[in-house]
Amino acid sequence: MSFGNLCAQIDRCAYTNALAKSSPATKVFFALSALILSVSSPSPLVPIIVFLTTTTLLLRFAKIPAHFYSSLLVYPTIIVAISCFIIALFFGYGEPLTEIVLPWFRWTVFKSGVMMGVTTFFRVEGALSCLYFLVLTTSMGDIFIILRRAHIPKILIEMSLLIYRYMFVFMEVAAQMYTAQKLRLGHSSWQKRIRSTALLAGNLFIRTLEQGERTFIAMNARGYDGNIRNLDDLPRPRRVSLMGIVFFDVILVFVTLSTINLW
Amino acid sequence: MVIRMLFRLENVSYRYSDGTLALDGISLSLAKGERMILLGTNGSGKTTLLLHLNGILKPTSGKVYFEDKPLEYTSKSLLDLRRRVGFVFQDPNDQLFAPTVKQDVAFGPLNLGQPIDKVKKSVNEALKIVGMSEYADKPPHFLSLGQKKRVALAGVLAMRPEVLVMDEPTSNLDPRAASKILHLLLQLNQEFGLTLILATHDVDMVPLFATKLHIMSKGKIVLEGSPEEIFSNTELIRSIDLRSPRITHLFEILRRKNHLLINKRLPLTIGEARREILELINFGDIIKLKRTTKEGNYA
Repeated sequence: MSFGNLCAQIDRCAYTNALAKSSPATKVFFALSALILSVSSPSPLVPIIVFLTTTTLLLRFAKIPAHFYSSLLVYPTIIVAISCFIIALFFGYGEPLTEIVLPWFRWTVFKSGVMMGVTTFFRVEGALSCLYFLVLTTSMGDIFIILRRAHIPKILIEMSLLIYRYMFVFMEVAAQMYTAQKLRLGHSSWQKRIRSTALLAGNLFIRTLEQGERTFIAMNARGYDGNIRNLDDLPRPRRVSLMGIVFFDVILVFVTLSTINLW
Repeated sequence: MVIRMLFRLENVSYRYSDGTLALDGISLSLAKGERMILLGTNGSGKTTLLLHLNGILKPTSGKVYFEDKPLEYTSKSLLDLRRRVGFVFQDPNDQLFAPTVKQDVAFGPLNLGQPIDKVKKSVNEALKIVGMSEYADKPPHFLSLGQKKRVALAGVLAMRPEVLVMDEPTSNLDPRAASKILHLLLQLNQEFGLTLILATHDVDMVPLFATKLHIMSKGKIVLEGSPEEIFSNTELIRSIDLRSPRITHLFEILRRKNHLLINKRLPLTIGEARREILELINFGDIIKLKRTTKEGNYA
């Protein structure tokens, strides 16, 4: 699965999942609050609850195919697991958990280090599931409107909006150019591959400049005056769902507070 | 009585910054409610000419009049002009920049400073006219080229223009999508009185569509008139690398090589050709032909 292909698949999910039509504000509120609580939790308990909840929501309610979701999780999880394994081995102080006896020296693994590794692993997994929840259920179109409401600088939003749209145009152009090069044996050896890729990149760059020019003209023809205005007609958040999320967050805070001394 | 012209171009020339003279002394005029086609080969200056009609390009020399007033190139009068003269580009990817269809169609009305409710209404209506309502929340990269073209058209219609300028409305479309767009344009012209200005090199669509035809070659208008007048001048058409509609061509060959007797002008459309053929072989003969076929001895 290539990177571009993956982007397109995630994008398709965001527009077609079963929660696509529900209020984006609610989804953003849920994902962000759960993410913050998950990352700031001192014990792995809260992140585990968050992970299970978001995963259930994604699979049961948003109807994201389980194999797609798990394929998205696999690679980050492997990387995080390796990092956390290293944290567990190298970090920590105080009470030793075990000692690894090597021929030339003894390696001390501390209990606090292992706890740190495990906690970090679940924190990241919890946060990851929150971000996937946001990305897989909320379309970019909706996210831009939310960002605008949050008073993120306009220039950033407008740039990402154009980048988002033309990313897909240029992915297609690049794929076509690549095929055209391949058909004329442009990728038949290592050297030719380097050369063809350089040509493709250069060409693509010029194409983006030209596209920018043409888009600007087309926007002018519809009365562009330097501001891209958005039609803000998102569905209103339902009170019940907001209350539910607040309730969920309060429980998480309560769990955090009650486990703070145990862990 | 003086007919008030909607558009009038007086001796318009345009030179690109690299020195190419794209338009060379163009003069033309157009009345309200007409369906005008600019026919010309690639690189004959059609697109450049169209870009003058809503003030995107300013003539190097000459003047463009809209409703008898010369165009002013101030941002305020340009905004007004661009509301009234909608422009649909050849490549819908140039035009569709917003993340969803709805957002894109709303771009123009929002720029006009309309209140949200009115914008929503215009967007829904425009999408309904082009038959893309169910795609309102989809991003443009989910759509086929024909669908993108219809959305681009909706983006302009939502501004409720009086004139619609369209560059190559049928290019790269399959026959079905092309005829869909053409029917839509005809309907807009007949129901809402929208004046249409199209650039194309698709000769066969001209007689079905145009009330007025201008033929461009090398930055100049070489012929103008109704399709009937223009396509009777076969030699000139061919000399500027264009051709007559296929059906006209067929009749021309029949007349020249098989000495078929056609005294009137040659038919331009399938409908006209059918009438002509039926007249030529008159009805009695057809019935006789049918009967002999049944008996199996028509050889």
